Amino acid sequence: MEDFLAAAVEAAKIAGEVAIIRFGFHKTKNVEHKGVVDLVTETDKKCEEVIFDYLRSKYPDHKFIGEETTAACGVTELTDEPTWIVDPLDGTTNFVHGQFPFVCVSIGFTIGRIPTVGVIYNPIMDELFTAIRGKGSFLNGNPTKVSTQTELVKSLLATEAGTKRDKSTLDAITNRINNLLFKVRSLRMSGSCALNLCGVACGRLDLFYEVGFGGPWDVAAGALIVSEAGGLVFDPSGKEFDITSQRVAASNSFLKDAFTEALQY
Amino acid sequence: MPEKYSVEDFLAKAVDAAKIAGEVIKHGFYQTKHVEHKGQVDLVTETDKKCEELIFDNLKQHFPEHKFIGEETAAACGATELTDEPTWIVDPLDGTTNFVHGFPFVCVSIGLTIGRIPTVGVVYNPIMDELFTAIRGKGSFLNGKAINVSSQTELVKALLATEVGTKRDKATVDETTNRINRLLFKVRSLRMCGSCALNLCGIACGRLDLFYELGFGGPWDIAAGAVIVTEAGGHVFDPSGKDFDITSQRIAASNPLLKDAFIETLKQ
Repeated sequence: MEDFLAAAVEAAKIAGEVAIIRFGFHKTKNVEHKGVVDLVTETDKKCEEVIFDYLRSKYPDHKFIGEETTAACGVTELTDEPTWIVDPLDGTTNFVHGQFPFVCVSIGFTIGRIPTVGVIYNPIMDELFTAIRGKGSFLNGNPTKVSTQTELVKSLLATEAGTKRDKSTLDAITNRINNLLFKVRSLRMSGSCALNLCGVACGRLDLFYEVGFGGPWDVAAGALIVSEAGGLVFDPSGKEFDITSQRVAASNSFLKDAFTEALQY
Repeated sequence: MPEKYSVEDFLAKAVDAAKIAGEVIKHGFYQTKHVEHKGQVDLVTETDKKCEELIFDNLKQHFPEHKFIGEETAAACGATELTDEPTWIVDPLDGTTNFVHGFPFVCVSIGLTIGRIPTVGVVYNPIMDELFTAIRGKGSFLNGKAINVSSQTELVKALLATEVGTKRDKATVDETTNRINRLLFKVRSLRMCGSCALNLCGIACGRLDLFYELGFGGPWDIAAGAVIVTEAGGHVFDPSGKDFDITSQRIAASNPLLKDAFIETLKQ
């Protein structure tokens, strides 16, 4: 497992460097649209290429699921085979907007469909989150834990506006936020699902949910990083987390029940 | 009476004070915090109070005739009126909730007004080591490098920031989320980071295209940020489109190209 982690860290750092140095600050981004507000850049594609090339050279028999390859070639089914699930640049909108500092590489590794290794690297803030199943969660090599907050009204909640702009989705989003604002301390939106999960894992955030994000690559690494930090990852309905559902919620164990109840809007 | 100091001196001393306070914030950031409540979700800590003390002591030594308005002093002793006198307007720790939770958007904000006009601005995030500075007429800088607002012309490609604030009565919360709902149909996406001063800096350096906030604490949240935005080529105005009023607890900011469309959208 440690070898898989080391490989993932190396791949993440290479990609991080590509994103920042080759395509970074002061450079005009060539932005394409996957949807009205769902962006992709050559950086996303290049980063996915370097990550896949590196990991394939070490593990040619493993399977690979990447956000950009999926967009180009269609969905790859998640099987029990050792599978690398990669978001080469989570927070593309942030990256395009002068590197609003919440961007990251997210590399998850599943065996038997279970997240087993997770690496999330934010090259702008130089923060590397790592976890191996059963072996704890780390930020830049130091162990991290979820918060010990027990009260919803003292909790910091994160969510995102997402990329759908139809009326019923937006109304559901803002109605849910309205409902939650009466119950929590405050709300943050930073634009990266993977980094929101890391925020919960290191205690900066107490609660996170997102419904309708892109795919398993947004959560494969983060889910493990949260659970290895002592947190819980679940479906916003309270049911078990499903990595392909495009729905996720996370919190420490004290807040889960109250949070799940508050989410049933 | 002629000043023996130049605006550059004011800036240099403000940066020194910000860095001293920044060290205290950085040290406290990773420790357990003792939190008091100014309101149900409006927090203050001993760090806020200590930083204000340090900044005031430092600046008062150099500029004993200047006036001082600070968030924590105002909370303790009541509001001080803003006059034409050179006045330091200080938020010793903007983003207290973030500070308590270890979320890295915290800053010291030090503004100087002369004739009620923001003239010098310093905003320092000691966790991300980002120092934003500006002097009226002399440009805006991030860690010494010149910065500019974005050149975005289309609202639908613009990144908007706002905050949910600290009021939790139904009317305010409903208005807040209704406005966000309407805006989400018109902009690219939404960010909420928990620091008004850093949102203004985000506009100034082009990371954000649009910002508005209604009902923040006081002039200390914006005195520095306002000059940092305008010196980066941006506009600061009341969300209604009228002129910006530093004591109104209302603010909007954008680049000049987006301003009209933004005001139009905010009015709906």
